[in-house]
Amino acid sequence: MAEETIVKKFKVLNEYGIHARPAALLVKAAGKFDSEIFIEKDGNKVSCKSIMGLMTIEGYPGSTMQVTASGSDAREAMDEIEELFVNKFFED
Amino acid sequence: MSITVRTLWEEGAEKLSLSIIVGEGNLDRKLAETAMNRPGLALTGFFQYFANQRMQIFGLAEFTYLKSLSQTEKMKRLKELFDQQIPGIVITRNRKAPKEILELAEQYKVPVLRTPMVTMNFVNECTVLLEKLTAPYERVQGTTMELMGIGVLIRGKPGIGKSETALSLIERGHSLVSDDVTESRLTSRGRIVCWASEVTRYHMEIRGLGIIHVPSLFGVAAIRRQTELDLVVNLTKPTGNEDRTGVYPETVSILGVDVPSITLPVRSGRDMANIVEVAALNQKLKELGHDAAKELDDKIINRLTKGRVKHG
Repeated sequence: MAEETIVKKFKVLNEYGIHARPAALLVKAAGKFDSEIFIEKDGNKVSCKSIMGLMTIEGYPGSTMQVTASGSDAREAMDEIEELFVNKFFED
Repeated sequence: MSITVRTLWEEGAEKLSLSIIVGEGNLDRKLAETAMNRPGLALTGFFQYFANQRMQIFGLAEFTYLKSLSQTEKMKRLKELFDQQIPGIVITRNRKAPKEILELAEQYKVPVLRTPMVTMNFVNECTVLLEKLTAPYERVQGTTMELMGIGVLIRGKPGIGKSETALSLIERGHSLVSDDVTESRLTSRGRIVCWASEVTRYHMEIRGLGIIHVPSLFGVAAIRRQTELDLVVNLTKPTGNEDRTGVYPETVSILGVDVPSITLPVRSGRDMANIVEVAALNQKLKELGHDAAKELDDKIINRLTKGRVKHG
């Protein structure tokens, strides 16, 4: 499958923002794919496959994060990550 | 839970220096309670409250009191005692059993045992032994180690590397309790105590090596007779579904007690002994009231909530 890069922006919709549990869900989702996946906010960019990275990115409730996925399975990866953001990380 | 006097005799003969005076054929009487009773009050004729299901201990007090009674009175009181269907009698301080007791014991088919121990010591040690003998018990699959006083049960499918992990832990200075099969019982304090079955104790089976005797190879510091269980470590093949934060702890139920547990995926080249060691330390830290994962999560949630972006 062809390499591609997808960029999307998501709002953090859950009550407490990206704390340990949402971070773990994002890492688990991202870890299933070969693509490189990054999350960016206010000029800070961390790998979506790093728990510690995600916990330092300050994903405040209501803030907007930019996700970049690049690789052969970028589309599927982005779909899974979108699902987590849209469903408020299955919290609340 | 009830046992027979025979169990007490078989398990305690050596430890409590017991010998049978009469009633070797009557050892199958039920011991329904694990406590002892000193029948002094009953010998005075008071039976409104009498613990008749316990072993009756005749110590100095009972003997001195019996001596103060006339022959007929002595017989009458002892007969009343035997009428209560007592499971058995233990005479302490190696006292000679009065012939009335021996007669009645034959007649009522009640075993009479004797020990050189002082009454208080006998009651203490016998209570501990009976509690052990009647405690809920379960044999569980898994290797038990003690790491710096922390009891860890390592479980997982055959061939996942339980014994290899245990071996590395031994080399790091920790102690083996049991390999692959662990006996466990519940204490009255609600803790699980683990040990190895008698026959295989301190032996391990290492694939490709066969059976080894741990203390011969690594010294007596490498073994431990028993340990209180603090943590269950499950070794698994990597699933990609492992807990990544430790914020939401798991437990497993052993003998009705929820024991903290973690699941560690085994990959080649991963130093499992090191990780089990850290897991044990982390568990100890939690028991001391310091849960690192939870504290970090609370700190992050606090920061995130303060930085909340207002809608509209």
